[in-house]
Amino acid sequence: MMENKLRKYEKIEFLGEGQFATVFKARDIDTGDIVAVKKIKIGSRQEAQDGINRTALREIKLLQELHHTNLIGLLDAFGHMSNVSLVFDFMDTDLEIIIKDNTIILSTANIKSYMLQTLQGLEYLHSNWILHRDLKPNNLLVNAAGILKIGDFGLAKLYGSPSRLMTHQVVTRWYRAPELLFGAKQYGVCIDMWAVGCILAELLLRVPLFPGESDLDQLTKIFGVLGNPTEETWPGMKSLVDYIEFKSFIPIPLKNIFTAAGDDLLNLLEDILVLNPLKRKNCMECLQMKFFSNKPAATLGSKLPLPRNIQKIRESERTSLKRKLVDAADGGILSKRLLF
Amino acid sequence: MKDVIDVMELQRVKERKAPIIDYRQREFEKGFTPSRFIFECGIKLNAQPLTLATASVLMHRFFKEVVDHSNYDYFLIAASSLYLAGKVKDDSLKIRDIINVAHSTLHRGSNPLEIGEEYWTMRDAIVQAELLIMRALKFEVSIVHPHKYLLHYLKSLEGWVGKDSWNSSPLARTSAAFLQDFHHDPSILDYEPQHIAIACISLALQCLGIRLPLMEDNDEIWYSIFCKDLQKDKNWEIMEKIMETYNKEPETS
Repeated sequence: MMENKLRKYEKIEFLGEGQFATVFKARDIDTGDIVAVKKIKIGSRQEAQDGINRTALREIKLLQELHHTNLIGLLDAFGHMSNVSLVFDFMDTDLEIIIKDNTIILSTANIKSYMLQTLQGLEYLHSNWILHRDLKPNNLLVNAAGILKIGDFGLAKLYGSPSRLMTHQVVTRWYRAPELLFGAKQYGVCIDMWAVGCILAELLLRVPLFPGESDLDQLTKIFGVLGNPTEETWPGMKSLVDYIEFKSFIPIPLKNIFTAAGDDLLNLLEDILVLNPLKRKNCMECLQMKFFSNKPAATLGSKLPLPRNIQKIRESERTSLKRKLVDAADGGILSKRLLF
Repeated sequence: MKDVIDVMELQRVKERKAPIIDYRQREFEKGFTPSRFIFECGIKLNAQPLTLATASVLMHRFFKEVVDHSNYDYFLIAASSLYLAGKVKDDSLKIRDIINVAHSTLHRGSNPLEIGEEYWTMRDAIVQAELLIMRALKFEVSIVHPHKYLLHYLKSLEGWVGKDSWNSSPLARTSAAFLQDFHHDPSILDYEPQHIAIACISLALQCLGIRLPLMEDNDEIWYSIFCKDLQKDKNWEIMEKIMETYNKEPETS
């Protein structure tokens, strides 16, 4: 069985190495498809003692059952000796690279396309009772055809069980919702929605909207823009375990920050970046907003801008890709991921 | 297909308290499976019922995949299934706890295992076996359990018969017990989760002598509202399999 699998994929190049995995670009010999093979390391002593990596197991378990254009596909999994390898769709780039590449122009139509694809993938995920819990530009992968796929399910989890407590130590800080920062242990789709709001803001600003340096600073940055929540706007907030009172801020109208954005886009952003998690719109509600039915229509995938190196040399898009996959391979350690 | 299920056989009192088993003396060829060991260890470890069900199913699937059972140590595979099930169900079972509990369950009354050569060998073996199980199962570790269907059916029946008559019988508890015990038998792999849930309720109805309203009057099958594709004789077949599970139970230790 194992020998067959090893022969099934032909290594093309080494892409990168992270704490938990090594990633290779490979070709499926039967179909000729280009894939990304993520080889989970069990080499280190810690890993060898604990067996199969929990993060990898979560990805295997969830992705085997999920199939959607806008979610990364797990094509195969195989083991050899004491290694486990996961085979994924090969993706050329990601939103973080696109956002940081200032030769790329992100028009309203382009942003609409990225948001549409993100929300559609996320809606499917949420309707299957799964939270992603680590949405950020770097986990929204984009291929040369302009298809966006949500990747990295290492922190994803089933939600909705009223009795089960979950950790609030999820989501990379800049994209972490205020209720998580206040220590909420019961939450739902609202935490993913907050991250989507932050990503939308970042697509417009080209820099993170709330780049907090600590958890406290994160809340300061959030309230500095949206103003302080009150018991009226967010009932029950004070009963969250890590709740603390902040000095008062005067909210800044989003229009003053996002000067180039149209009203329909601002409305969408305003309805997602709501401090009270219960008032935040979910995927379905967002997709029904005017922004998505108004002109201009979302850019077709094939017309979306790509980083130059992918346009020029589609076959050897090394540098950007290498960086991304190393990050993705890094597993669920949150603090690590903020060290760009 | 027998027309009558001998429910009296189930009611004949064996020994109400489960006998303490010396697992090392068991003969697995006669149908006794390591499930009992998984359940005993799992309960001691405070694992969730679904984690135990997962561990049993993974273990049964593994032995179904491999050709020669004698190549594998039953207890190692059982302990490893338990460890893997904890990961699959996000029910954190620590490997050190599993080793300690498995060791003391196998060697009753012995001293706790010292951290030393033997401990590290066991730990290494469990981790290796975990990967072996994953590979044998082709990395397909998601399981659709009958439990959620059972709950749904029972809730619906509760609404149908009314609270008072519902509370007067232990139907729910009995059905759930049949379901849990059926996990001792590898034939649980052969049936749809919905069908198993129906069979557990059917058997509980028989054992407790409960008649659902309108059950006799016509040929309508009471569960057809829940499950369209379960034939009467298939239902009987599963019920008999559940009963057989109890026959494979050791009489005394």
